[in-house]
Amino acid sequence: MAASVDLSLDNTYEDPSRRADLVLGGMTYGDITENVAAIWEADRPPRTWYIVFTISVILLATLGACLFHLIMQGVGVWGNNNPVYWGFPIVNFVFWVGIGHAGTLISAILFLFRQNWRTSINRAAEAMTIFAVICAGLFPGVHIGRLWVFYWLFPVPTEHLAMWPNFRSPLLWDVFAVGTYATVSLLFWYMGMVPDIATFRDRAKTKVGKIVYSLLSLGWTGSARNWHRYEMAYTILAALATPLVLSVHTIVSFDFAVSQLPGWHTTIFPPYFVAGAIFSGFAMVVTLLVPCRSLYKLERLITIRHLENMNKIIMATGLMVGTAYGIEFFIAWYGGVKFEQFAFFNRAFGNYWFAYWIMVSCNVFIPQLFWFKWFRTNLVAMVIICLLVNVGMWFERFVIVMSLTRDFLPSSWGNFIPSLTDYLMLAGSFGLFFTLFTLFCRYLPVIAISEVKNVSRQPHDEIEHHGSEGHAH
Amino acid sequence: MAHSHKHDKPVDTGPKSKMVSLVAQFDDPHSLVAACGRAREAGYKKFDAYSPFPVHGIDDAIGIRRTRLPFFVLAIAFCACGFGLFLQYYTNATDSSPIFPGYKYAISGKPMFSLPANIPVLFEIIVLSSAFASFFGMWILNGLPRFANPLHRLPRFRRVTNDKFFLEIDASDEKFNENRSRQQLEEWGARAIEECHVDLTDQKIPQVFKLAGIVLAFALLLPPALIYRAHGMTSRAPRLHVVPDMDWQEKYKTQGTGPNIGTADAPALLFRDNHSMRKPVPGTIARGDLTESDEFHRGYKTGTLPPAKTSGPNADAQDGQAAAPGTPPEPEWVTEFPEGIVVDAAFVSRGKQRFEIYCVACHGYSGNGDGLVNQRALGLSATGEAAWTAAKSLHDPTVKPQAIGRIYDTITNGRSTMGPYKSQIPVKDRWAIVAYVRALQETGIKPPAGTAPAATTIPANDATKAK
Repeated sequence: MAASVDLSLDNTYEDPSRRADLVLGGMTYGDITENVAAIWEADRPPRTWYIVFTISVILLATLGACLFHLIMQGVGVWGNNNPVYWGFPIVNFVFWVGIGHAGTLISAILFLFRQNWRTSINRAAEAMTIFAVICAGLFPGVHIGRLWVFYWLFPVPTEHLAMWPNFRSPLLWDVFAVGTYATVSLLFWYMGMVPDIATFRDRAKTKVGKIVYSLLSLGWTGSARNWHRYEMAYTILAALATPLVLSVHTIVSFDFAVSQLPGWHTTIFPPYFVAGAIFSGFAMVVTLLVPCRSLYKLERLITIRHLENMNKIIMATGLMVGTAYGIEFFIAWYGGVKFEQFAFFNRAFGNYWFAYWIMVSCNVFIPQLFWFKWFRTNLVAMVIICLLVNVGMWFERFVIVMSLTRDFLPSSWGNFIPSLTDYLMLAGSFGLFFTLFTLFCRYLPVIAISEVKNVSRQPHDEIEHHGSEGHAH
Repeated sequence: MAHSHKHDKPVDTGPKSKMVSLVAQFDDPHSLVAACGRAREAGYKKFDAYSPFPVHGIDDAIGIRRTRLPFFVLAIAFCACGFGLFLQYYTNATDSSPIFPGYKYAISGKPMFSLPANIPVLFEIIVLSSAFASFFGMWILNGLPRFANPLHRLPRFRRVTNDKFFLEIDASDEKFNENRSRQQLEEWGARAIEECHVDLTDQKIPQVFKLAGIVLAFALLLPPALIYRAHGMTSRAPRLHVVPDMDWQEKYKTQGTGPNIGTADAPALLFRDNHSMRKPVPGTIARGDLTESDEFHRGYKTGTLPPAKTSGPNADAQDGQAAAPGTPPEPEWVTEFPEGIVVDAAFVSRGKQRFEIYCVACHGYSGNGDGLVNQRALGLSATGEAAWTAAKSLHDPTVKPQAIGRIYDTITNGRSTMGPYKSQIPVKDRWAIVAYVRALQETGIKPPAGTAPAATTIPANDATKAK
């Protein structure tokens, strides 16, 4: 047991002679299981959990009421109108899809790059991905007007419609990209969780728990032959998810970039959107994990080093996003198209100037604080910065969509005024997200137990490997 | 550790259970790998290791061959690529199939089958199918889900998902001998050894399942029976539509007499006469249709009674001449522009612009009647392919003396083959064209026949002269 904490809880210092520990306090395999399973095995969750859950469910109910109102009344209950037919719904869609990018990035790309620090955070990040994609899919899903024929989105042979989707439309690409992304993320998340659900199954004390976790764990035994194929399948899924995660936000950006509108019709959109997605997604992961680790006493598994690494990625992607903002202005000037120049001048000083400056402040200026180690390693500071980053990223999408208010023809200009339903649905989508996330924390393993065990340093490693390296590569 | 003793006695095996394997427990991954190596050396073939996480080097120690999963996924990926291409080709580039035909979209002048625009969907289909292949392929190859595994009955084995490591030697292995194998496992460092038994008593299927199976089998016969009953029959009942179409919306249509609200026997009528709309009160004038002034709207002096209908393309079939015999008398046409019209340079250039939109096709730019449509139609009528009355030259001696009200009436109601333009050209624009026609007549431009006439610019003073 980790009764004596000889190792400091600070593993953020770089020592070239030795790889930093990813699991602190000399936790044994049993300790790791105990630490994670305790969240679910506790008789009742912490009080904070109840508070968060209650608020989330209230917001979720609000969302339900808004959806009912929307379905009964039609999309006119939103502020969408000429010239902005895409208001909050598309802003929220892109915002949530962007957030959903961090999970697969952590699980797939960092896996292929052999970044072992991903093991402590990938499970929660993947869960976050799936819940965010659900929130994202909601908005275009209910925007189609006649909800009950939603299946016309897919290439389904119909008897009386006698038509098919247009496979050259970015909006259809979106259906395929987001649908594939949600499905593959779900498979990846669930497959990674099966061994850990088996852990819950083998520890379950109640009959219901035993049955449910037995069914979910598919009879997993941890056989070496099973592990062999499992690891192969995991690697293949990671290799598939890596281009997929880049393709999804690329295709989302095509929704804008393939059109002719000044401010949208730019080739920089795909990389710029992907960088922004990773930026906002990591910010959301940090926002979720910092309270989680304190609440569930996971400090030895999700260490400051993990958080610091994520903050470094946030800073790096923030700089990419900032560069993209600059390049957009440069190209508008360099290209010499006056409509383009007007569009960008209008962004910074026009009818939605405040949104632009919120975006630049939160996305470009504030993350620069992460150059200082104190900000990267201070819990409160990083949560505040990450919250601001997500505010900034929401406004980024708002700024982009509001290009519609002033296009080529001044006579067709107009402003966008969101309705109460717009605001309530935005809040309600957070309710949906946090309801799912709090339930996930309560009933499923929030940390990839089996993967963390593999990167933890154990006493027997020291004996047999002469303490040279251990497993913590 | 909960169990300190090494040899656990099997828990009440009973006569109706069978030992299937010996399960040895180890406390760390290294001793498990070492024991697996020893078991392989000892010649065991049917043995497996169990661990809470994938242990490095255990594949070599056991001799696990590389899985074929990647090749399976690759094969599925190629199939998905073909399917994705076919799907997009069939649905967007063909439309000749008799059942569920595709729909050809003409998009921005691209070819019907435009590969670059099909790449995003193709990519997503490949990724999705490959992900399914690796996910389901892995579980199938692993023989999972398998819920009735006798290993799960061993309480000690529950720690395999926590912190313990196990080596299982199958009883059906050729080298297996209960006592010797047990001894070997101890030698290789096993901390505890248990027998794994499969219970033979509860292998019978419960009666309730049999009953349910029989009921299900009969239920499955129902659809084919119904199909058999309906074969070769026709039905007047409409097809079942789960989702109602837009065609059947419950609504009143403006011009309709039978509302589709309510049932056929008891329609929910909006008005008693079955109409969903009221007729306007007699004498109602539609917005913009108030045409009070005879001078302004009809081109003749008030009080000069209009005779029986003179207007319309068929009113005087042969010629537009006012004094043609057999035509009814005409009203007194205005000779001055009516009140509210100021003829200035801007007004005449407006007239010129309108003239060039509506009139030049037949009358030509200079009003000679050499417009392209007229030339073509005359050509066709010379060969007998079409009947055509030549468009009048505006400089024709029969046209030149006409009062401006008469010209206005011609534009408004048409003459001979010339159709009425009142629905296309607003009143004021008609007067503007009249002003321009007058200007053309005043200047009297007559370019040589056969050359394209140039647009004429009317000086401001000419326009005022016309007034």
